Amino acid sequence: MKPFHREVLPGIHMIQECGGHRAGIAKTVLAKQVSWYSEGVELHVPQNAYLLVGDRTFLFDTLSPAASNVILRGLDEVLGNRPLDYLALSHPDVPHAGNTAPILRKYPKCQLVAPRSGETHALYHLDEAIKVGPDDELDLGGLLLRFPEAKFLDSAVHTWMTEETTKTLFTVDWMGFPHLGGECLACVDELDVEICVSRLEEFHSRVMFWFQYVDPGKVQEATNALALAFDGYGIAPAHGLPIRRNAAPFYAMMNEVVERVSNTGRGGVL
Amino acid sequence: MSGVRLGNGVTWIHECFPEVNGHLHVSVYLIETPRGHILIDSGSFYHRDSLADRINHATRGRGIGALILSHSDYPHSGNIPSFRTEWGDFDIVASCADPEIQGLPYARRVRIGETVDVLDRPFTILDPPLADRSHTTWVFDEESSVLFVADGFGTLHKSGECHAAWGELPIEGRGNGVADFHEQTLPWVRYADPDRLMDSLRAIFDRHAASWVAPIHGPPIAARDLGVYLDNLDHAVRSISRK
Repeated sequence: MKPFHREVLPGIHMIQECGGHRAGIAKTVLAKQVSWYSEGVELHVPQNAYLLVGDRTFLFDTLSPAASNVILRGLDEVLGNRPLDYLALSHPDVPHAGNTAPILRKYPKCQLVAPRSGETHALYHLDEAIKVGPDDELDLGGLLLRFPEAKFLDSAVHTWMTEETTKTLFTVDWMGFPHLGGECLACVDELDVEICVSRLEEFHSRVMFWFQYVDPGKVQEATNALALAFDGYGIAPAHGLPIRRNAAPFYAMMNEVVERVSNTGRGGVL
Repeated sequence: MSGVRLGNGVTWIHECFPEVNGHLHVSVYLIETPRGHILIDSGSFYHRDSLADRINHATRGRGIGALILSHSDYPHSGNIPSFRTEWGDFDIVASCADPEIQGLPYARRVRIGETVDVLDRPFTILDPPLADRSHTTWVFDEESSVLFVADGFGTLHKSGECHAAWGELPIEGRGNGVADFHEQTLPWVRYADPDRLMDSLRAIFDRHAASWVAPIHGPPIAARDLGVYLDNLDHAVRSISRK
């Protein structure tokens, strides 16, 4: 098994499910002749789970059911004999929550944490979970978590997260982008190339398909407010490589992305 | 009761989930064909036993031969494993996402725009403007002209109104039910350009003359009531996007 987890920030481990080569996206970007992709190179859209290890341990999202072995092995290798104290779900979407049951079986004393927003928790087996929202904090001992509102979200039961000692914003699904085969597990600051608007566009035109129906100005206003609220924070996306430094340009690029998708429509499906 | 017949072999089998502003339907639809029954969505585990009983009753114990899934969100796909145990390895048509990532490695993936045969009955897969998950598909039954939709086109309803088609709901409060549903279920609508969204929805009905719009999260909307529903939805989208 190739490496699939690493510590990306002090106490924050990324466990990554790269999945297979995204042939559909590769075909599209080859036709567009983008500068960042060459034929024959693998192209991935990752699922990332983040394991936070302080005095207590906390997993944010579970990877998809196709990667059950990846998340369970990753937990084994990082935690060793330590328990998993908390399992939090950004939202109860199968690619993010699909391994909840096997993880809770492996760690029977683990507390399930769910977004407070929304009303359909019982339809997702989340009625007994600890609920968190923008007014809540969770101190892991050495790491401090908060749960800001997810500004761009699939459904009502949804949260983002921050870790305050490292100043990291965990976004789901927003700020995702594909990476190349040689970029797996990397952070953006370690790449030889810069992430460009085109990469962000390929992801969001498929996943945030509803960008084609928005007033771009409204989305941009919300994006600019996010940039202000989280000035100085890095971003750890669920579907992209961690942006540990200088996240500001990414907010500006997302403003261009929504403009593009609004004009050109849906890019396809993942 | 087994369900409400919409005609051409299509039956609405509805369950309800109580919310603060009213009841939410979490439904499935059963289609009878000469080759067996097709289920649209599998419903929530929350209603598993009741759904299984009602489907068994409606199919005279034979169960289903195929299932078409709008998307793999748990209120829609939650009973697939138990239904496979109950009725065997029926054909599963699983929307446009990677089946393995969606937890359905045994499912048949479809493409938006294609027409697929399920138990020799053709269904056209449509790109849904009003959805929560990006891999959602709307499904148009070419034989009955019923358009199955999720999650959009829902309506919150009051206790006691659970069995009514949309046109049978009391007019007072019906529009609020449409608005409340979409505001809480599809939070991205707050960013919508109402004209753009509504134009795309109306264009679907220009291309597909639906006899019924059959939502998973609301009562079915008969063709004669669709215009009024769209007007209510238009009002709702404008109201939500102004907040």
